[in-house]
Amino acid sequence: MTEKTEDWKPIPIEMAHPESVDPRKIRLFKEPEWILRMTIEGDRSYTRVKVVRAAPLTEPNRYFSILDSKDEAICTVKDLSELPEESRPLVHEELDKRYLTAEIQKIEALQNEYGVTYWTVDTDRGSRDFVAKSVAENAQWLGDTRVMIFDVDGNRFEVPDIKALDRRSQGLLESVV
Amino acid sequence: MNHLLGKPFIEELPPSVAEKLHAATPNGETVLMQVATDLDASLNYNPQWVVVTDRQVLVIPESGADGARSMPLGEVADANVEERVGMGTLALTHKDGPGIHVPYSRSLTAKFAEVADGIRQLKDDEPLSLPTALEQTHCDQCGRRLPEKDGVCAACLKKWQTFRRIARYIAAYPVRLVTTIAMTLISACLALLPPKVTQYAIDGVLSPGWAAVEIPLIASEDRLSRLGLLILGLIVMRVLIWCADVVMEMLSRPLGLRAIGDLREDLYRAFQLLPIRFYDRRKVGALTSRMTNDTDRLEEIMTHDFYFVFSNTLLFVGIVGFLLWMNWELTLFVLAPIPLIVLAGTKIWYRIMMFWTQWSGKWGRLSAQLNESIHGIRVVKAFAQEARESTRFDRYSEDLRDVDTRGERVWFVFWTVTNLLMNTGVFFVWYFGGRQILGGELTLGALMAFISYLWMLYQPLRWFGDFYSYILRAFAGAQRVFEVIDSEPEPYQKPDAVRVPRIEGHLTFESVVFGYDPGKPVLKGVDLEVKAGEMIGLVGKSGSGKSTLINMVCRFYDPDRGRLLIDGVPMTDVNLRDLRSQIGMVHQDPFLFDGTIAENIAYGKPDATFSEVMRAAMAAEAHEFIVKKPDGYDMRVGERGGRLSGGEKQRVSIARAILHNPRILILDEATSSLDTPTEKKIQAAIARLVQGRTTFAIAHRLSTLRSADRLVVIDEGNIAEVGTHRELMDRQGIFYRLVKTQQETTLDIFMTAVGMETE
Repeated sequence: MTEKTEDWKPIPIEMAHPESVDPRKIRLFKEPEWILRMTIEGDRSYTRVKVVRAAPLTEPNRYFSILDSKDEAICTVKDLSELPEESRPLVHEELDKRYLTAEIQKIEALQNEYGVTYWTVDTDRGSRDFVAKSVAENAQWLGDTRVMIFDVDGNRFEVPDIKALDRRSQGLLESVV
Repeated sequence: MNHLLGKPFIEELPPSVAEKLHAATPNGETVLMQVATDLDASLNYNPQWVVVTDRQVLVIPESGADGARSMPLGEVADANVEERVGMGTLALTHKDGPGIHVPYSRSLTAKFAEVADGIRQLKDDEPLSLPTALEQTHCDQCGRRLPEKDGVCAACLKKWQTFRRIARYIAAYPVRLVTTIAMTLISACLALLPPKVTQYAIDGVLSPGWAAVEIPLIASEDRLSRLGLLILGLIVMRVLIWCADVVMEMLSRPLGLRAIGDLREDLYRAFQLLPIRFYDRRKVGALTSRMTNDTDRLEEIMTHDFYFVFSNTLLFVGIVGFLLWMNWELTLFVLAPIPLIVLAGTKIWYRIMMFWTQWSGKWGRLSAQLNESIHGIRVVKAFAQEARESTRFDRYSEDLRDVDTRGERVWFVFWTVTNLLMNTGVFFVWYFGGRQILGGELTLGALMAFISYLWMLYQPLRWFGDFYSYILRAFAGAQRVFEVIDSEPEPYQKPDAVRVPRIEGHLTFESVVFGYDPGKPVLKGVDLEVKAGEMIGLVGKSGSGKSTLINMVCRFYDPDRGRLLIDGVPMTDVNLRDLRSQIGMVHQDPFLFDGTIAENIAYGKPDATFSEVMRAAMAAEAHEFIVKKPDGYDMRVGERGGRLSGGEKQRVSIARAILHNPRILILDEATSSLDTPTEKKIQAAIARLVQGRTTFAIAHRLSTLRSADRLVVIDEGNIAEVGTHRELMDRQGIFYRLVKTQQETTLDIFMTAVGMETE
C-alpha cells in the first residue's frame, strides 16, 4: 500500500477537465437557418447548441461557453478573437437573444416607500416603470460606479457609470443605494 | 370579436394592431387569446401582440409598418416558454421550418407560461382550458406594481378597515377598554385645566391691581390663603392626572397584551391550517417575521398608542377650543404657520424615512456579516481570512455610522427649525398680546394662559405626526398578518366529506396533471393503479416528479387535471383528517421536534403507553441506542433533533411511523447517506414496517428497492416503465441504464479508493 502511495501523482487540472478544445477548430453555423450547429473540426459535431456567458456580470465580453442541446458545457472560449472569423457574428447574435439588461440613462422619478422603491427610468430600450424591493438586497455593485438593480420580477437594470448620469438622477439613485 | 374566455387572456387591442389583425385574417377567425408582450423583436420596450385564433398563432408588432407573422396551429410542433436572463421567450417550434420566438420581460412570465400551455392544448385539438385569473401583480386600487405577488400594496393600505380590525381585538375586552379610554380622557381633561388656574392666580391673586376691571380687590392675607388654595388645587390636579395615568397604564398593558395574544393565536392557527401551497414560495424567515416583527409593532399600538388617539384628540380639540375662546384673532394668527410646519415636516419626514430605510439596510448587512463570519468561522480560519473579514466589518460599520450621523443631522435641523418657528409664534403673541394688555383688552394672566396653551398644543401635534408614520408601518404589518388569517385554510371542515375510518390503501391515478407553477407541469398525465398493501418503488432522476407524486398521495396539492381515487373515492371528497391520520412518512432528513425521544415517537399518537412506544422503538431497531443514552427515552433531542446522529434520527422517525400505524406509508429516501451497518438495521426495520401497508418508496440507491412489488420509473413527469426489478432489468430500458450507471460509479469510486485504474 505504501508503495502505491509513492507512485501516486496529482492529476493536473487541465487533464482532468473535459473541455480541452482548440477554439480555432470550432465552427459555428446554421443549417437549416433556424438551427445553430457546432463542429469541432476533425472531431465531433453538435446540433442545437447555445452560447452563454460564463460570467455575464463581470466579464460580459469574454469567456463564452457553448452548451449542447442538453445544456451540458462543451467548451469555453476565452476571447471571441480566438474563434474563426465567420463564427463570431453568430456568437453575438446568440448572446443578444439570451441576455436582457436595460441601461438606465436617466431616472425620471424614484419613490421610496416602506422599503419598496418605485422607479420610472429612461433606458437604452425605451422608458420603463419598475418596482424593486429593499434596494439594499436587490442592487449589486459591479465596480465603484457601476450598479445593477434587479426588480421584483428579476428584470435587470444597469447603471454603467453613476458619474455619467445627470445630477438629478445621480441624487435620486444615491438616495437609495 | 369573441370574448369567450374573458379577461386574463383577451386584452384590448390598440387600433393599429386591430387593423393589422384584420388584414391578416380577412375571413374573420375566432380569437381565443390575445395578449401583449412588453418587448419587441429587438428587445426594446415596445409591445408585440400574440393573437391565437382557432386556426393560427399570429405575432403582430404594435408599432411600425410590419404586419403579422403567423404559424397555423396544425404546423406547430411545440409551444414552450424558455427562460432567458432578464427575460423570457415564447418559443413556437415548427414541424419543419423556422420557429417563432416572442420575447417578453420577466414581468410577464406567468402570463406567457399559460399562453404556451393554451397553444399546446389547441395544437393537440384539446379544448382550451386556462385559469380564470392570473396571480395578482398590480394593486387593484392604484395600479401600482405590488412588491410581492398577491401581496399588499403599501401605498393603498385600507387604513380605516385595518384600524377597525385591530380595534375589534381590543374590543373583545369591553370593560377594560372603556375604563382605559375613560382614564385617558380624564387625564386629558385635567391636563387642560392648569393654565386656566394660573390665569386666575395671576389676575385674581397676584396682581389684582391692574385686573381690577374684572376681579374685586381682596385683602392681602386673603390673597395668601387663596394662593395656597390654588397651589393645592394644582397639586391635586397633578396627583389626579398621575393616578389616571397609572390606572390607564395598569389596564392598557394587560389589555393590549391579551389582544395581541389573541391575534398571535389566530395567526398561528391560520399557519397550521394553511395548505402546503402557501408555504411553497415563501421563505420561512419571512413567515416567522410575520409572527414576530409584524405582531411586535402591533403590540406597541395595542398596549399604548391606541388609547392615546383618544386623549390626544381630546387634548388637541380642547386646547384649540380654549385658545379660540380666549382670543380667536390671536389664535388664528398663531396657528397660521402650522400648515407650513406640517408641510415642511412631511418633506423632511420623507428624507428621514429614507435615512431610516438606508439605516436598516446597512444594519441588515452588518448583522449578516456578523452572522456569516461566525457561522463560517471554521472556513475563515482555515483560509486565514480573519483580517479580511474584520476589514469588511469595519467598512460596514463605518457606513452604518455615516448614515446614522447624516440622519441625525437632518432630524436635528428639522427640530431646531420647528422650534424656532414655534418660538416666533410665541414672540408674536407676546407682542400683539402685550399690546392688547396695554390697551386694557387682555389681562396678563390670560396672556400667560394663552402662551401655556400654545406650548401645550405642540404636544398632540407632534404625537400625531409620529403616530402617523409609526402606525403606517404597523398597519403594513397588520395587513400581512390579516392576509394570513384570511387565507383559505385546508378543507378540514368540509361537511359532506366522505369518512374513511379505515383506509384499505387502493390508489388510482387517472391522468393526473399537476405543476407547482402554472404552465410548468411536473406530472404530465400519470395513470397508475396501486393495489392495497402493495409496495411501489419510485425511480427517476431528481426533478422527474417522484416527490410530487407523493405530495399528491398526501393531498398536499390537488391535481390540476385528472383525478386521484383512494379506495374508489375521489381524493378531493375524502375527509382530510381521516386521510392524513392514516398516512405515515419517513424522510431522508427526518424532522424531530424539541422534546424527549419518547414524545417524538408518540407524536402521531399522543396517548400511546410507554410500552407501546418501546415496542415501536424495538421494531425500528432504535431501542438499543436509546437505552444506551444516559436519559434513555427521556433524552431531549434538541431543536430539530440536533443531538441525535442522522441514523438515530431516522430510526426514531421510523419508530414514530410504526406507532402511528398508518395504512399508507411513504419512504422518501429513508435509508440514504447512512453507513452500511446502520442501513442494514434500518432496512430490517423498514421491511417490518412495510408489511400489510400500501407503500411508496423513493430511493436513489436502486439496490434498496429490491423488495418492492413493482417499480415505477418516472421520466420528465410521465410514467416510463412499470414492472418488477427483474422485468425492468430484462427490458433494458431506462431503469436498466440507471442501474448500470450506478454500478459503474460505485465501482469507479471503489477502484479509485483502492488505487486502481478502472481501464
